[in-house]
Amino acid sequence: METSNKKLAKKRRSASQLAVVWRRFRRNKAAIAGLVLVGFVVFMAVFGSFFAPFPPRSFPCLYKGCTSLPPFQDWSHPLGTEPSGIDVYSEILQSARNDLYVGLAATLISVAIGLGIGVASGYSSGVSGALLLGITQVFLVLPVLVLILLFSRILVLLVAQGFGLTIIVLILGIFGWPGIAYITRGETLRLKEAEFIQATKALGASKSRILFRHIMPNILSPVIVIATLTVAANILTEAAISFLGFGDPNTSTWGQMLNDGFSWLNYWWISFFPGIMIVFSTLGFNLLGDGLSEALNPRLKE
Amino acid sequence: MGEEILRVENLKTYFFTEAGVVKAVDGVSFSVYEGEPLGIVGETGSGKTVTSLSIMRIVPPPGKIISGRIIYRGEDLLEKSEDEMRKIRGKKIAIVFQDPNSSLDPLFTVESQLNEVIMAHLKVTKQEARNRALELLKMVRIPDPEARLKAYPHELSGGMRQRVAIARALANEPDILIADEPTTNLDVTIQAQIIELLKELQSKLKMTLIMITHDMGLVAETTKRVVVLYAGSVAEIAPTNEIFKSMRHPYTAALLKAVPRIDRRKELKPIPGSIPNLIDPPSGCRFHPRCPYVIQRCIEEVPELEFTDQRAVACHRWKELSLKGE
Amino acid sequence: MAGLWRYILRRLLFVIPVFLAVTLLTFLITNAAGDPVQIVKFAIRRITPAQVAALEAYYHTNEPIFARYFYWLFSFLQGDLGTSLRGGLVASKILPWIGTTLELQFLALAFSLAIGIPLGVYSALKQYSKADVVISSIAIFGYSMPTFWLGIQAIIVFSLYLKWLPFGGAISPYPPYWGGSIYTDIIGHLILPVGVLTFVSLATFTRLLRASIVEVLRQDFILAARASGLRERVVVYKHALKNAISPIVTITGLSIGLSLAGAPITETVFSWPGLGYAYVQAVNALDLPVVQDLTAIITIVVLLVTILTDISYAYLDPRVRLE
Repeated sequence: METSNKKLAKKRRSASQLAVVWRRFRRNKAAIAGLVLVGFVVFMAVFGSFFAPFPPRSFPCLYKGCTSLPPFQDWSHPLGTEPSGIDVYSEILQSARNDLYVGLAATLISVAIGLGIGVASGYSSGVSGALLLGITQVFLVLPVLVLILLFSRILVLLVAQGFGLTIIVLILGIFGWPGIAYITRGETLRLKEAEFIQATKALGASKSRILFRHIMPNILSPVIVIATLTVAANILTEAAISFLGFGDPNTSTWGQMLNDGFSWLNYWWISFFPGIMIVFSTLGFNLLGDGLSEALNPRLKE
Repeated sequence: MGEEILRVENLKTYFFTEAGVVKAVDGVSFSVYEGEPLGIVGETGSGKTVTSLSIMRIVPPPGKIISGRIIYRGEDLLEKSEDEMRKIRGKKIAIVFQDPNSSLDPLFTVESQLNEVIMAHLKVTKQEARNRALELLKMVRIPDPEARLKAYPHELSGGMRQRVAIARALANEPDILIADEPTTNLDVTIQAQIIELLKELQSKLKMTLIMITHDMGLVAETTKRVVVLYAGSVAEIAPTNEIFKSMRHPYTAALLKAVPRIDRRKELKPIPGSIPNLIDPPSGCRFHPRCPYVIQRCIEEVPELEFTDQRAVACHRWKELSLKGE
Repeated sequence: MAGLWRYILRRLLFVIPVFLAVTLLTFLITNAAGDPVQIVKFAIRRITPAQVAALEAYYHTNEPIFARYFYWLFSFLQGDLGTSLRGGLVASKILPWIGTTLELQFLALAFSLAIGIPLGVYSALKQYSKADVVISSIAIFGYSMPTFWLGIQAIIVFSLYLKWLPFGGAISPYPPYWGGSIYTDIIGHLILPVGVLTFVSLATFTRLLRASIVEVLRQDFILAARASGLRERVVVYKHALKNAISPIVTITGLSIGLSLAGAPITETVFSWPGLGYAYVQAVNALDLPVVQDLTAIITIVVLLVTILTDISYAYLDPRVRLE
């Protein structure tokens, strides 16, 4: 009876904490704008292919004389077409899912690695902790893009085509963790010395219990913030890779469209519209991340 | 008692926050006489710090002085231009802040921070300013002052930093020195030294000292008169030696019971309840939800500050209560 | 000051592990497919037997992989950068590449600091005013903008449609020069890349500086400076700005590092003949000797810039030297 009461009280407390965060978040206009933009991108990712009139990477205009159409002229191709015959509107919708997938999946991998290494290096003292910190610091200053480009060029060469996105997700995920690890480590170090953790330790709690019941939940809020910002960064990097021609040419992404647009500069609409989508999604995740950081960390605002 | 040097009249300073208007100081009045050490006491959130920032007119946003008068030597500071006010700050009225770790700029040496205050008010050469800075460090009893001039704040101990902060406040021999909880962030042994120093400087320089604190012990040790603040308004004003014998406001009595005393082995009584929400303060007397002597009138009517002899009190029942020190 | 020197030394020592990590990683990646000579053969079908022989000699393909790495490392450290598969010695090209890259980066940095500092200060002092909202909004827009996309749009508008500015490259290869002389030609080619890079990093600086100053203005020593009767100008530009700028310097370093590491993208957009552009072309052509050397050099340049900023941070903030 008593335990169930306790549980109930705990539930209520965490619910009210969420409510407080939400109230703070709601007051922040920029954060709400970010939420709306992210919602828009997610909506496109989920339902985009239903609204898209043509399949991804298809050339509906080839041999039909409607290639290189400017936008807003023929309403069956509202955003125009590429010289190759790709329909810009349809392709943008088809790409949303892939872009969001890269952004989210790569972030998940980075968070998993970053949390693991960060907590481990913060929690374990001595040689192993120092070693992990060293690895993190080295990774933190690597010229990541340079390595990613090389990596994807070689891997795409080696692996059969069609694995393009998965490879990019893996690469982005593997190179994206150091920032997360660094922050996690700092928080772990701070918490390890915190009085309430010391008290739990004194009460005889096991190491794993301290780690999962006490340290993890407290690390969560900074990690959520940086993960949100990482999604934006990943979408940008993916676009850069595809733009430079190191992506999979058979997969629809906004970056791939920029690559097309860069080859055909005379047709401005090819690069303009997908670029706007990239700006929307990165702006959305950046605003959301900033908003979350202010809402979760009231210290910054009175 | 000297002449009246500073008079605060019905001062109201509000903070306009997202959550609502915080009435941090809501109608505070008191006088300060030349050369006297005056104490202002109250719990955290009673408005003592905001009062001192208001006197200097450096209330940070979203705070704003709403109304009232601050008369310094016959002139209202609230009517002065920003430039006239600047010439008073640090020259006529100076302040020492609570936390010496944050009140000194970490990126400049002691010398440069003292020099700039001296040179902001006096036309002197760098060398003259340096000599004055050296003199100041000697005055606040910093050992090896020559070397300390070149030090950065992080190279000094907490006590040394507070001495530097005091030296900075005294740089232009102000009429009034406001010390805002000058010892709260220091070790106990250092606290005693800083208090000794302030007392000594006060009597040597014949300075008017306003000591802001929550510590009744410190009030007893350093002041001659005391203003008790509660939730943004004045509860009681009295000579220090009298207030310990007979307090007129129940809040003062409660505050004194919460002070540990070596001479009497009595249980400490914390004041029940906590400082009220200043966005939506209690009706009538603001102390009524925590007051053991509350009657209906206290809930309905705001008590006026009544002046008798040298004392003042804002309580409907002070005449009948006759509270005594223990 | 002795503390400062020790700090510099410590930071310089940090270059070594990072350099080794990056080059080893590059080496492993380029060798991930197995024999690098086979990759090149696979990718570039019309490779001459002479080139194959050069490759085999370059990679010491008959020896184990780590031995091969050390072969590369020693010849790199001796300044022998090998031969490009596309002809020519790598060493003779690298200095001009570094020069062009740094020219673009430093011009953009100088402009974004010159504009970003006053904007950030103004925005922070007039927090929540209309001007602040406008500056902050543009800043977060620029911060979320892909440089390369902005670059493409700028080229389309200014070079293609308006024909105001020359197209890509650092200089016209032959007359007629843009604007009539070779100097105006060089400037003309700089305007778009410098403008776009400036806009993007400007946004970052303004945002961070604003946040940093707002934080500093809340500190007690600002209150204390005001209470001492210092002029508002001194309070803001001496105390607030210096305190706000020292964390910014670190971030500036990181952002220069990022911007340099992002050089492959920006330089490709503007066909800017620097390290990044050369790198993209080399990766594309699987010109592995050039790739290996360029990675090493980009890493060194990025690290040196990062360390330079760390040192200026330590110079600005005496507390850092102690750690």
